Amino acid sequence: MAAVTYPNPKVVNFINGTMIPIQVRFDAQPIATDYNVKWTPTIITLDSDGKEHHRTVGFLSPEELIPSLLLGIAKVSFDSDLFDSALTNLNRLLSEYPESNASSETIYLRGVCLYKKTHDAKPLKEAYERLNARNPKDEWTKRAYPYRLL
Amino acid sequence: MGDTIRWEGSLEVALKRARLEDKPVLLDFFNPN
Repeated sequence: MAAVTYPNPKVVNFINGTMIPIQVRFDAQPIATDYNVKWTPTIITLDSDGKEHHRTVGFLSPEELIPSLLLGIAKVSFDSDLFDSALTNLNRLLSEYPESNASSETIYLRGVCLYKKTHDAKPLKEAYERLNARNPKDEWTKRAYPYRLL
Repeated sequence: MGDTIRWEGSLEVALKRARLEDKPVLLDFFNPN
C-alpha cells in the first residue's frame, strides 16, 4: 500500500479531501486489540465516534481502494439512516468505478437503501436483476436471490 | 490537496477532526517491516 497505492495522486486527493486518515502500526496497543486486527494491511472506515462500518484486509490497488472507501463512507451514512447521503456515494461508486470489486455489494446496498427510503420493493428486485445480468454466480447476486420474487 | 496523505498519528485527534469536519475516519493498520 505504501509503495503503490498511497502515493497515487488520485488516492491522495480522495483521502485528503474526503476522510480523516490515521495510520498506526499493526501492534500498537490498545488500538490493535480494540479493533481486533490480525493481519495487514487492514483498512477500516470509522464514524466520528470510532465505530467501525467497513473493513478490508489485504492489498488494494488505487483503482480498488477508492471504491472500497466510497462503499465504507456510504455504510457510515446507511447505518445512521442517512439514505440520501449513502446513495450519493453509492451512485458515485457505480458511475466512476463500475468494474471494481466493490460494485456488486454497492448494487445490493443501493437497492436496500432505496427500499428503506421509499418502502417500495421494486429497487430490491431491480438490484437482483442488475446483479444477475452482471454475474449470476457472484456472492451478492446470491444474497439478492429472494428479491427476484418481489 | 498536496502530494502525500496527511496521516494523523492519534485516534483521539482523528476523531476530534472527524467531528469538526463532518468526515469519516480511514484507519490503516500497517506493518513497517
